Amino acid sequence: MEKVVAVIMVGGPTKGTRFRPLSFNTPKPLFPLAGQPMVHHPISACKRIPNLAQIFLIGFYEEREFALYVSSISNELKLPVRYLKEDKPHGSAGGLYYFRDMIMEDSPSHIFLLNCDVCCNFPLTDMLEAHKRSGGMGTMLVIKVSAESAHQFGELVADPITKELLHYTEKPETFVSDLINCGVYVFTPDIFTAIHDVFTHREDRANIRRVSSFEALQAATRALPVDFVRLDQDILSPLAGKKQLYTYETTDFWEQIKTPGMSLKCSALYLAQFKMNSPHLLARGDGIMNASVTGDVFIHPSAKVHPTAKIGPNVSISANVRVGAGVRLISCIILDDVEIKENAVVINSIVGWKSSLGKWSRVQASALLQINICQSTLRIL
Amino acid sequence: MKALILVGGFGTRLRPLTLSFPKPLVEFANKPMILHQIEALKAVGVTEVVLAINYQPEVMLNFLKDFETKLDVKITCSQETEPLGTAGPLALARDKLIDDSGEPFFVLNSDVISEYPFKEMIEFHKAHGGEASIMVTKVDEPSKYGVVVMEESTGKVEKFVEKPKLFVGNKINAGIYLLNPSVLDRIELRPTSIEKEVFPKIAAEQKLYAMVLPGFWMDIGQPRDYITGLRLYLDSLRKKSSSKLATGSHVVGNVLIHESAKIGEGCLIGPDVAIGPGCVVESGVRLSRCTVMRGVRIKKHACISSSIIGWHSTVGQWARVENMTILGEDVHVCDEIYSNGGVVLPHKEIKSSILKPEIVM
Repeated sequence: MEKVVAVIMVGGPTKGTRFRPLSFNTPKPLFPLAGQPMVHHPISACKRIPNLAQIFLIGFYEEREFALYVSSISNELKLPVRYLKEDKPHGSAGGLYYFRDMIMEDSPSHIFLLNCDVCCNFPLTDMLEAHKRSGGMGTMLVIKVSAESAHQFGELVADPITKELLHYTEKPETFVSDLINCGVYVFTPDIFTAIHDVFTHREDRANIRRVSSFEALQAATRALPVDFVRLDQDILSPLAGKKQLYTYETTDFWEQIKTPGMSLKCSALYLAQFKMNSPHLLARGDGIMNASVTGDVFIHPSAKVHPTAKIGPNVSISANVRVGAGVRLISCIILDDVEIKENAVVINSIVGWKSSLGKWSRVQASALLQINICQSTLRIL
Repeated sequence: MKALILVGGFGTRLRPLTLSFPKPLVEFANKPMILHQIEALKAVGVTEVVLAINYQPEVMLNFLKDFETKLDVKITCSQETEPLGTAGPLALARDKLIDDSGEPFFVLNSDVISEYPFKEMIEFHKAHGGEASIMVTKVDEPSKYGVVVMEESTGKVEKFVEKPKLFVGNKINAGIYLLNPSVLDRIELRPTSIEKEVFPKIAAEQKLYAMVLPGFWMDIGQPRDYITGLRLYLDSLRKKSSSKLATGSHVVGNVLIHESAKIGEGCLIGPDVAIGPGCVVESGVRLSRCTVMRGVRIKKHACISSSIIGWHSTVGQWARVENMTILGEDVHVCDEIYSNGGVVLPHKEIKSSILKPEIVM
């Protein structure tokens, strides 16, 4: 039987600086969205792929930061989930290549590659089927966005009938296409040969440079170490139009989680998805025995919420949180060990670990993307 | 004795409250501003009060009719057809103020709230034998006002200095006067200022005396000072008749709650709060430094501070109203709304938060 493995690129502490201050206390991939670590959402999507043998998380965080999560999720899903630490950043293709022996140990027929900081419904099984039909080396998830926002992403052109990737360019200055790369791929093991070819080609050019002081090399290439291979510029762009790469378009939601503001929006999207996939995770309450709940809300079983509080929509409450009488929470993420006292109101905000909000205090931002972030152990009285 | 209260104009500084009622009828500590003054005047034997007013005299007189009989004080209006300044209205009301008794009469600025020590003022006036007495009050920043320079021991006024750049004294005109009828002979019927044109002449003749006002004083003609004035008034009430103030575990500091108002469970009210008749304050509400006018409903868990809530308004659940928010009559603040210094005109529904101080038309 053909086996499949999945690789999730989680980055490292020097990445994700735009996610500060939230990333100071916890690795960004473990920041909770809809009450689950960010990386949990792609992992549970991978779990639904038939014949999935293993999941690898690749990054350059310390092993101990992921040890607890990796062991608990492996037990929960009854599926090996391993964290592989890069000694330094290799780029997403370089990182994949660096661990090729481990990834290939089950001889999988297909390898999924996912970026951890995207929020979508990960239609992985449909992608795999489309990929098999195409007969190519790789298939990437793509989505149509507004022409104004496309330049922030990798823009691409696909054949309308065959869905072949015809052209790819990362964050172009001029408009190329409103179809963008979602950062979710499936490849055959031939991807390793393609990455290896990039190395070889680069070494050749480096040798030329050393011999002839050839000045015409691209600045970007010159600055990169030999074993750093980006998926977008080094693989997708050169292989576009060569009948090796194909696209699979999603019409569902897709967001990139770069800033803390996006985490509230993405938390809302995942909570809405729970309603379809995992309704047991959503809180219910009538305001009599337990707090009244409106809209999609996650409340950790260890959190204590007073029955007179009103929670929702889009609220996620983490472990050991205490919510007092008459509290109102709207569109917010309440992190571990926070105490919210009587009649306080929190709107469009993230309340950091161990913070304490006093009676009748109010924490509010005007819009989702201008959220308030209460730093850890802050006390608002 | 008689008294003239300078009511004056439209009370624009106290909008939007004065869009619904003439300023003297706006409640302060659950009583129309002007009644504080009329009651104090009655207590020292004043039998007739003349209101110098330049708009809506009918509204005023209709309202005051009940109080005329209740307090046994004759209340009349003297209507200006053009603004006559602070002295002109005295000339206009001359016939109402002069009678055979030859007794002095009071003149009050209607915006001023204090303990009204009229009895002491009458004694002071008799004692110095001059033509006019004025009350002065000590302020921290005299450069903002007209300063009265006086002889400390006798109170004899030397001069008036308008907004002095250099320190000349810290006593300012408190807007409360006791005048002999002869002062009226000095005032022509034209727009004129009592501080700038009449008093300096009397002072030059050494017939003007100033008495330092004991207790608090505040010009409550604008919202910020209205809120400060309430604090001073309640402090004074605490010393004089503290039984009028609310008590209980839900009360902190000085709080006035009308007997017909209802307060829910788990509220915390005070300091410096006045709650008017017929108000309903639901459970879990926090009120501090604010005035809640007649017929208001404050819904559960709302939090109000440093604000004035106009007649028959409602404030929704978990709403927060603060920083000199002034709600006019019949304003409805929806659930979970935040108002930071919103000034809201009557009959509005507020459905989205007011994040910076602004006027909501």
